[in-house]
Amino acid sequence: MRPRPALRPYLLVLPALLLTCGILYPFGLGLYYTLFDFSAAEPQPDLVGLENYRTVFTQDAFWNSAWVTVLYAVGAAGVETVLGVAVALLLHRSSLVGRVLEKILILPLMIAPVIAAIMWKLMLQPSVGVVNHLLRPLGLGGVQWTDTPTGALLSSIAVDVWVYTPFVAILALAGLRSLPASPFEAAAVDGAGWWYTFRRLTLPMLWPYVLVAVIFRFMDSLKVFDIIYALTEGGPGDSTVVLQIRAYLEAIRFQRYSFGISYTVVLWAVVYLAAAVLVRSLGRIQRKAAEVSG
Amino acid sequence: MKGRQAAGVRARGRQAAGVRARGRLGGWLADAALILYFVFALFPVAWMLILSLKPADQLFSTYFSFTPTLESYRTVLGDREGIPFTRFFGNSLVVSVGAVALSLVVGLPAAYASARLRFKGSENLMFTLLSFRFAPELTVIVPLFVLYQKLGLFDTYVGMVWVLQLITLPLVVWIMRSYFADLTPELEQAALLDGYTRTQAFFKVALPLVKPGVAAVSLLAFIFAWNNFVFPLILTSNEAQTVTVGALSFLGGDRPKYNLTAAAALVSVVPPLLLALTIQRYLVRGLSFGAVKS
Amino acid sequence: MSIALRGIRKSYGRTTALDGLELDVRDGEFFCLLGPSGAGKTTTLKTVAGLERPEAGTVEIDGRDMRDVEPYDRGVAMCFESYALYPHRSVYDNLVSPLRSPRHRLPAAEARDRVGAVAGLLGIGGLLDRMPGQLSNGQRQRVALGRVLVRPARAFLLDEPLSHLDAKLRQQMRAELKAIGAVRRTTTLYVTHDAVEALALGDRIGVIRDGRIVQTGTREDIWYRPYDTEVARAFGRPRINLLPGAVTGTGHFRSADGAFGLPLPTRVPPGTEVLVGVRPRDVTLTGDGHRLTGTVYVTEVLGRSVEVTVRIGGQALSLVAARGEAAGLRPDDPVRPAVRPENLLVFEADRPGRPGRRIERR
Repeated sequence: MRPRPALRPYLLVLPALLLTCGILYPFGLGLYYTLFDFSAAEPQPDLVGLENYRTVFTQDAFWNSAWVTVLYAVGAAGVETVLGVAVALLLHRSSLVGRVLEKILILPLMIAPVIAAIMWKLMLQPSVGVVNHLLRPLGLGGVQWTDTPTGALLSSIAVDVWVYTPFVAILALAGLRSLPASPFEAAAVDGAGWWYTFRRLTLPMLWPYVLVAVIFRFMDSLKVFDIIYALTEGGPGDSTVVLQIRAYLEAIRFQRYSFGISYTVVLWAVVYLAAAVLVRSLGRIQRKAAEVSG
Repeated sequence: MKGRQAAGVRARGRQAAGVRARGRLGGWLADAALILYFVFALFPVAWMLILSLKPADQLFSTYFSFTPTLESYRTVLGDREGIPFTRFFGNSLVVSVGAVALSLVVGLPAAYASARLRFKGSENLMFTLLSFRFAPELTVIVPLFVLYQKLGLFDTYVGMVWVLQLITLPLVVWIMRSYFADLTPELEQAALLDGYTRTQAFFKVALPLVKPGVAAVSLLAFIFAWNNFVFPLILTSNEAQTVTVGALSFLGGDRPKYNLTAAAALVSVVPPLLLALTIQRYLVRGLSFGAVKS
Repeated sequence: MSIALRGIRKSYGRTTALDGLELDVRDGEFFCLLGPSGAGKTTTLKTVAGLERPEAGTVEIDGRDMRDVEPYDRGVAMCFESYALYPHRSVYDNLVSPLRSPRHRLPAAEARDRVGAVAGLLGIGGLLDRMPGQLSNGQRQRVALGRVLVRPARAFLLDEPLSHLDAKLRQQMRAELKAIGAVRRTTTLYVTHDAVEALALGDRIGVIRDGRIVQTGTREDIWYRPYDTEVARAFGRPRINLLPGAVTGTGHFRSADGAFGLPLPTRVPPGTEVLVGVRPRDVTLTGDGHRLTGTVYVTEVLGRSVEVTVRIGGQALSLVAARGEAAGLRPDDPVRPAVRPENLLVFEADRPGRPGRRIERR
């Protein structure tokens, strides 16, 4: 018998739906676990209600992690946006050099972040690393890159920037190439200068593209794990313990499952909130860009 | 009269030359800035190459001049030092291909349905899938860690392929939906009136026309699956462990083996890099989940 | 095969495409559905084909309700306005596609002969190895038509199949289309926005507007008894003259500016605001009838005849005269065009959103 037409779409999405449920189940299970004091040491867990969350929010460690996470995300996404747009603008001029280099733009992006972090870890090693070797002639030989709190955070951000700047640049370049030509021709006829054209035309019309990239980057860096795990493991001290690293340490290292998941649930809520805000502003900016180009 | 005209032409000529000179200087500066960025982007890879070619005894005593040797690659690919790197490599291949295959089988019909058929809950499903992309991985992994141990899925291919859907399925569904949406439904309607069933119309008309999209999304999903770190870190221990975790194991032990780490890192980035170069054209759409088309 | 649509409603989001549409196409006839873009023509065709499901109403083919019948089981062939050629297949593969389908499969050799015959008929025999992307719009349109003709069908649904051809080719194809045997024998529902095409092709014409059929009839019905001013305006070039005015106490027509009067063929209550319609070809410079007095405003040569626009008070009246009659007319020359009362159409005055209905002769 042929399926009823109204059922057809559901039949098609059924496998995906099942898979989705298969992923939602552990998520739901995780939420459920957070209501218990489930850990390796406590295989017969008791219901503790919202106690885990209360502990999370009253711990200094949580607020430290939250602060570090925000610093990391703002820093990484910020630098990547500025640098990425700059690289895109430079490549958009499509000089000979630019055309050659554009072919290898994606290289860092295709390297696993954890591998990238390993690479930089080897390069930033204080005594034998190549970075300090190259800096030595400038009188800056002994920088303790990942061994000071500030240095460790900046180094992690640098690796993130190294990996993900091409992401912003690629999307911004696609945006630049799809901008309508007529407003620029009109501006050129009117004798508008470079800066004016950039501020009044390029930037507003480019924003929607850049913002897609920024949303992706900001939300991804809120849940950074790989880079920090390989580069600093959260150290020195607690200086780079971002939320996912904290959750990892609690849940896997110390096997306090319930408590660790509580951290990720809080992080999940933060990411979700950030996404809602950013996506709304994307809509607003897209409308504005349409006005400029229209 | 003629003289004045000629003077005017000369003046314009000088002006143009001035603009060009300024333009040329700007061009050089722009190219210089680009080159600077690409040195930053490429140096780490070059340095890994250098490190990987160094003999062990010159590892810390030399920087740029040394006697190159392939010994590190022999060690890494020969599974010496007690690290079964080739098996990790094979594991990466198996779980990544498996994850992409499952995502395609499950995701293509879902993408097609949500692009073509208006049905209740379609947007909800799509956004649930999208939210996977931005969910902190540990929220799902920690419960899975507990669950997998009970179900015997810990450290297995099946377990890895399943959890990788978190990454590959949203990618496949979202990008393929945008490809299907670009296709006019009248082509399949024509096929229906030619006497084909809906299934035949999908396989004979819709699918061949989105083949480039399928190829691009498969490769991109493969790359993301391959580069993933946190899933195998937590959900495998040895049997199903992948290269990203494997590469890190060369850093362990009492004596840091930088040359081996560098060789392992480079070997592990070869597959994604090669694939990335083949899908350059489709990358923008893939990276932005179909939000930006180039 | 007869097609009947009963009270079809279909909307896309907030826009209503079909609003209780009623339509009867008789067995074997060539029916033209005429309307402006956005009137619901394509949606009507797709509803008949089963590609769109209506929210209300029924589609009957040969008296059988088509509710749960799939498009491929309805036995209709459709030519899409967008051509809908498979871009990844050659012209030959496009044409032969129906004959390879499970529904209409023919042995390969027979299919090849059939495609050859249809391609010859449409003059695309030399294009069979090309890809659709390499064809001109006119060629694509003929391939799309060929894909419809190649297979047996109980009805043809043609969506503006000539719209993308240039004027000369369109005229030629129009003549050829009706001469094609299959088309002559088979029920055809033909959608167009071109009134000339509808008049030339349609055994009957249905005028569609805002998702409803306004009028159905033969070309004579539509031409001589248009339902309202808009239907009257849609047919005939130059356009019908519609002169505003009111009915006097004696049952005559007086123009709004009082410049002239006309006898009416219809009895209309005095004081009624009306529009009097007269086709330019029914106004003569030398014939008999009721004479009006005006001056030449502008003349425009239309091949063998001339369109003369005459100013009568504040009104413009256009008429078509033979070239000889109009020769030597200059702007501001006085003229006395004649109108025969039996050629006049009387309409209610237009109101916003509601064109004036024709007032029936009694």
